[in-house]
Amino acid sequence: MNLRIAWRNIWRNKKRTFITISSIILAVVLAVFTRSFNEGTYVKMIENSVGQLTGYVNIHNIDYWEDKMLDNGMEVTQDLIDNAKSVEGVNDVTLKIESFALAAYEKSTKGTLLIGINPKKEDEYVKLKSKLTEGEYITESDRSILIGSRLANYLKISVGDTLVLMGQGHYGQSAVGAYPIKGIIKMPSPVIDRQIIYMPLALAQEYLSFPSGVTSMVIRIEDGDLADDVCNELNSKIDTTINKAMTWKEMTPELIQMIEGDRAGGFLMIGILYMIIAFGVFGTVLMMTEERKKEFAVMISIGMQKSQLAIISIIEMIYINAIGIGVGIALTIPIVMYFHYNPIKMTGEMAKSMEQFGIEAELPTLMEFSIFKEQIIIILFITAFAAIYPVFAIMKLKLIKALRK
Amino acid sequence: MKKVIEIKDLFKTYVDADIIVKAVNGVSLSFEEGEFAAIVGPSGSGKTTLLNMIGGLDKYTEGSIIIDGIDISQLSSKQMIDFRLNNIGFVFQAYNLIPVLTAKENAEFIMQLQHKSKKERQERIMELFEAVGISEKANVRPGKLSGGQQQRVAVARALASKPKFILADEPTANLDSKSTADLLDIMRKLNEEENITFIFSTHDQRVIDRAKRVITLEDGKIISDEVK
Repeated sequence: MNLRIAWRNIWRNKKRTFITISSIILAVVLAVFTRSFNEGTYVKMIENSVGQLTGYVNIHNIDYWEDKMLDNGMEVTQDLIDNAKSVEGVNDVTLKIESFALAAYEKSTKGTLLIGINPKKEDEYVKLKSKLTEGEYITESDRSILIGSRLANYLKISVGDTLVLMGQGHYGQSAVGAYPIKGIIKMPSPVIDRQIIYMPLALAQEYLSFPSGVTSMVIRIEDGDLADDVCNELNSKIDTTINKAMTWKEMTPELIQMIEGDRAGGFLMIGILYMIIAFGVFGTVLMMTEERKKEFAVMISIGMQKSQLAIISIIEMIYINAIGIGVGIALTIPIVMYFHYNPIKMTGEMAKSMEQFGIEAELPTLMEFSIFKEQIIIILFITAFAAIYPVFAIMKLKLIKALRK
Repeated sequence: MKKVIEIKDLFKTYVDADIIVKAVNGVSLSFEEGEFAAIVGPSGSGKTTLLNMIGGLDKYTEGSIIIDGIDISQLSSKQMIDFRLNNIGFVFQAYNLIPVLTAKENAEFIMQLQHKSKKERQERIMELFEAVGISEKANVRPGKLSGGQQQRVAVARALASKPKFILADEPTANLDSKSTADLLDIMRKLNEEENITFIFSTHDQRVIDRAKRVITLEDGKIISDEVK
């Protein structure tokens, strides 16, 4: 009976209930869109920066992160690799050597980021081969290189041409070499695309005169969320007076700060939106309560306990908010799903400004239950907030005064 | 006859604009089972206040009301609600049916509060609706019923819980002559055939004419108590 009375009560004033539910739907839709676009962009930024470049967990020489010079590289032993692979959640270990080099072709020169990789594993984990736009992918035994498409454009160099690299090798030795371009890749992050050169690990070690050295061991893990646990476990297993495991969060604090700052701004906007909606819902509750005080008094007079009446009021709130959130989520799921697989491509000034920040100029949504869960929790809070008034009004109801209304 | 209500030295005073008002001023009376009594008097005489205090809706300043051996002033607010549910039926001037429930559901609602079985509820409601002559409107919501029909549903609702007595506050005030006559016939019949106790507060002569006992109040005091 309580459920039936509550259900019928909310439809007494259909227009008012419709407007209230619509406002909740609107809030849910806007909040889910904002959050899923924001989180989708953050994931993209993390993938661009972390997935492509640093990896979720790295092991370095303890001095390397503070002073990223080749002399702070590390000698990798099979024991260290086996130790790392034995940690739960670790899928594999790949080795990288990184350095800066001045690249020259004809009359153009440019500072570049040179990374020596295991081409097969790099493709396996970050799908590097799929980023190839021209030429062919490199193999472990190749003596040729891959370069970013924006770098190739800048240097006006194409597949088959030879790029001259100059830099500093291990222990201050000069590093000089000329390498044919086997392929051109397009990296999602424009900043990286403008400076990246990939080279087979052995060739890079030879160029940098550091035959068995690397600058980092990239720990490939099952799930990015495991990074902290894996990192802690690794640090407990390795000699931390020589090497140190770091998570992507430690390695890219500026990215975290940017995301956190942006996220806080987003939360503030959603908070304001929900606050407006909460007051709208409260307004409806206020009217529903005030206009029914006499009816409440009658129900109490004929034998209904105040607590039971309060429960009916709470159920009414639950109905209104549940319909709002249910319809809101049902409407957003297909749209969020669509933009997850078909991100909005930004153009013009907006695209340029995103690229300047190293962000790929597209907005994907993130399909994650937690975003929907957040809205459910917020609406539950609004329900609880809105239910305070009728419950209070019922509990404090003066029967005679209300009956005289 | 068994005494259902016993009122002793009842006072209800309140302060209105610094003046002490004695709404009920030393009333003592009792009602027996099967009475059909009207409390009459001009506006402000205290009849509705007295009725509200008998029904436990309003608190009194002094005195006592004993219903079926229970001093209602000793009951907590929660106990008082349960007491009303099981012992007192109310009929209001403005019918006060729950608008979102049908006529039948309105009457059934009170039995649901008493946790009566569905079968028992259905049987009782059919019986009551037959008695008040509103069976054909059982599934209609109050908004689509006339005043007289709504008041009949209100009587059925008041009787549904099998109370010890019915308190009716100006039950005919909003009804036309025909509806008033029909309603009084129904209530009188229930009183005579089923020995149900009715106590009215009214200034409607038609009700007074049909009452078996007329208690007249003036300035909160009983000035006459006639049994016809």
